[in-house]
Amino acid sequence: MLTYIARRLLTLIPMVIVISFLIYLGLELTPGDAVSHMVPPDARSMMDEERLQALRESLGLGKPFIVRYWIWITGVMQGEFGYSLAGGVPISKIFLDRLPATLELSFAALLISTVLGSILGTISALTRGSLTDQSLTVVGMLGVSIPEFFFGLVAILVFALNLNWFPVGGRILPGYDSFWDRLPHLVMPAMVLSIMMTAGVMRYARSSMLDALSRDFIRTARSKGMPEWRVNILHGFRVALTPVIVLIGFRLPVLIGGSVIIEQVFQWPGIGKEFVSAVRSQDYPLVMMVALFSVLAVLIASLIVDLLTAIIDPRVRLGE
Amino acid sequence: MNKLLTTSAVALIAVCGTTWAWAQPINESELSDPRVRQAIAYAIDMETIAETLFEGAAIPAIGLTSDPANYPEGMNTYSYNPERARELLAEAGWDGSRTLDMVYYYPDQLTADFMAVVQAQLADVGIDMTYRLLEGDVGAQITGRPADPVNGPSVVEWDMLYGARAAIANQEYFNRFAEGQMPMIPTVEEMLPLVEQVNGTVDPAVQRAGYQHMEGIINENVYILPLYYQQLYIFESDRISRNGAPYGNEQYSYNSDVINWTVEPNEDGERVAYTNAAPMQFFELPWQNLGIWVHSRYAFDTILQADGSLRPIGGKLAESYEVSEDGLTLSFTMKEGLKWHDGSDLTAEDVVWSIETAALAPIVQPLVATTIGSIEGADAYKAGEADSISGISVDGRTVTLTFATIDPNMLMSFAQFAPLPKAYLEGVDPLQIQQHEFWQKPVGSGPFMIEEARMNEFTTLVPFPDYHRGVAKIDRIIALPSADGDANLIRNAAAFRADFGYTKNATDVPALEEMEHMNVTAVNIPYTRMFWINQFPRE
Repeated sequence: MLTYIARRLLTLIPMVIVISFLIYLGLELTPGDAVSHMVPPDARSMMDEERLQALRESLGLGKPFIVRYWIWITGVMQGEFGYSLAGGVPISKIFLDRLPATLELSFAALLISTVLGSILGTISALTRGSLTDQSLTVVGMLGVSIPEFFFGLVAILVFALNLNWFPVGGRILPGYDSFWDRLPHLVMPAMVLSIMMTAGVMRYARSSMLDALSRDFIRTARSKGMPEWRVNILHGFRVALTPVIVLIGFRLPVLIGGSVIIEQVFQWPGIGKEFVSAVRSQDYPLVMMVALFSVLAVLIASLIVDLLTAIIDPRVRLGE
Repeated sequence: MNKLLTTSAVALIAVCGTTWAWAQPINESELSDPRVRQAIAYAIDMETIAETLFEGAAIPAIGLTSDPANYPEGMNTYSYNPERARELLAEAGWDGSRTLDMVYYYPDQLTADFMAVVQAQLADVGIDMTYRLLEGDVGAQITGRPADPVNGPSVVEWDMLYGARAAIANQEYFNRFAEGQMPMIPTVEEMLPLVEQVNGTVDPAVQRAGYQHMEGIINENVYILPLYYQQLYIFESDRISRNGAPYGNEQYSYNSDVINWTVEPNEDGERVAYTNAAPMQFFELPWQNLGIWVHSRYAFDTILQADGSLRPIGGKLAESYEVSEDGLTLSFTMKEGLKWHDGSDLTAEDVVWSIETAALAPIVQPLVATTIGSIEGADAYKAGEADSISGISVDGRTVTLTFATIDPNMLMSFAQFAPLPKAYLEGVDPLQIQQHEFWQKPVGSGPFMIEEARMNEFTTLVPFPDYHRGVAKIDRIIALPSADGDANLIRNAAAFRADFGYTKNATDVPALEEMEHMNVTAVNIPYTRMFWINQFPRE
């Protein structure tokens, strides 16, 4: 197992280099650069072009693409994440400030969607063909079909502006600092972010559970006189859980990226919002680090899923 | 008598010749023919567009500047007249085979809708037009100038550009008519001396005559097609009161008298006011966008003071100022006992250091940059040939600036220029001054000081106890992050999280006005939306 993990971790290095190079190349091919985004178009014709060029040089943007990439990648390997071009803020500080907010939101959404999705999917499978099953299927379809921002806006209108149950947005107010102070701010964005994933997990859990319930070992368990709830939960649900865990594992990094819209709608100060702003302003050191983080999150999530699958399902043998 | 007749005849022929020459293309581009440009002007029904699409939140334009005092008599309003447009196109020999390429850089839906309407109205008179949003380095795509300022070819790759000119001085509307400065307009010889005229004097009457002349030339030839003047909308909740302080151009510094504003206390008895325009990653240098950020307006004080129209009306950090008769020397005496927010003294040395640093900083508001660049010795200093700007001298609290050339807007510039504390920033490379850690929680000199800054979450500002004009009556300002154009404004206003601020987005106005607790005041600002028509031939 350890050899397998070490081998997988080593394969991450070339993958990260290739992916980061491709992202860097993509940014390079985008017209303009960070400096060209610092001056609004309305004012550009009245600005001193020579001075802007000097700024470009001082920020290292005048160097050839490959040299800039080399400086960046070697810096990252030495633990130097660089600075945001726009404001000179260390990228490590931006991560420390923003990532907790995104992780808080993503984990909350993951927790809600996992618990709700698994339970509802199992109920749906166990009541197959009933009104409950059909209702849940319709709800699931709606959940995956309607975009998150729409749910977000409706939630703000109903729960924040009309009922006044939750704040309209933001993560915290001045003068407050604890998690419990933040909780009212977290509820709506986490619920909305989890809707689509809950629907996905529910559908996945339902089909997986139905598949498990049709297996021979379930019939064997029943024939041994085991109570129905034990058959369903101990045998059926455990086996049905494997593909669901794979889905959930792969959803976490997607959630980090997928929270961008929710962060915008709910004014949530996370890394997704920062990423959008960095892409728009072509702040390449920041874009690269967020992208690198996302790539690593996906790759590591994939490794964790493999390990968990092996633990849950003894038939899976790692490294073979 | 014969001589008189001959002279008259020659004059008549000259006038006719001028008119004939005027009504012709000056190069290979059909758009260099003024009749085609006039036809475009007649084809667009700006009155209806302003009333319907913009819901009354746009004022159809006549001249580049919105001040009618700058217009000569007989300015053509180019009221909607498709028939006249067709006639002009026929006279110009427009055969309809060319499809005009219109570009714009505002990504909002209203702009896209406006483009669609213009496309339909131009098609109605026989001009095909397609439109597209510029992406990437927009600045580079709209500023390239041809080597030959008459025949081109064009460097920019479009036929028409929808954009805006936001200027605080009238000269900014016209200065690009100086020779070879326009990416899309061939040199207009008769404009050259006029541009010099309005920049070479501090006499408002002489400037006014120049503006009138230039507005007339532009209007007659449609070198640029002004479309509408945009207003700025100041919103306030019913909790807050300005107590008689004037409303003005909120994008800049003016005498808004914020220290006397009051707000109803909350349940804890604290007078807290919410606004927007807090930073998202760093506090922007207040020399760039002079007033759009909350800290630029309230945490930094300017040397002189302007009224709501941005006209200089006296000193702010300066207790007095004086301009020499020849307009080449400006001296101001700083108030005694001025303090920075950290309690240290704000001195004339800080002012001098700030001016010299602004001379080298990469992004400074163009009007301010022009003023500083006009100081004697500024060029040598910028070129690295001198250690300081020779035209700046200090005597106690008095700073004297000697200008190499007259800058008619020097008072206006210093009514927008806020000095920075030298102690924090001395030694920093001016090119990278914005990247300094100072801008995570800057120390200013204004009526409010920054208490807490959580980037992308909120910034709180509290009254500066040593402010030279007294202590502000609002206990705390909570500013939520947003750039110029707050996407969350309506939601925050509905949730009582927007007590004051401004928007330029006309679509926000009806929503704000519908809220019982919100009031909106429209303010005229120098901001003209226009079409730039590329009159150079394209390759």
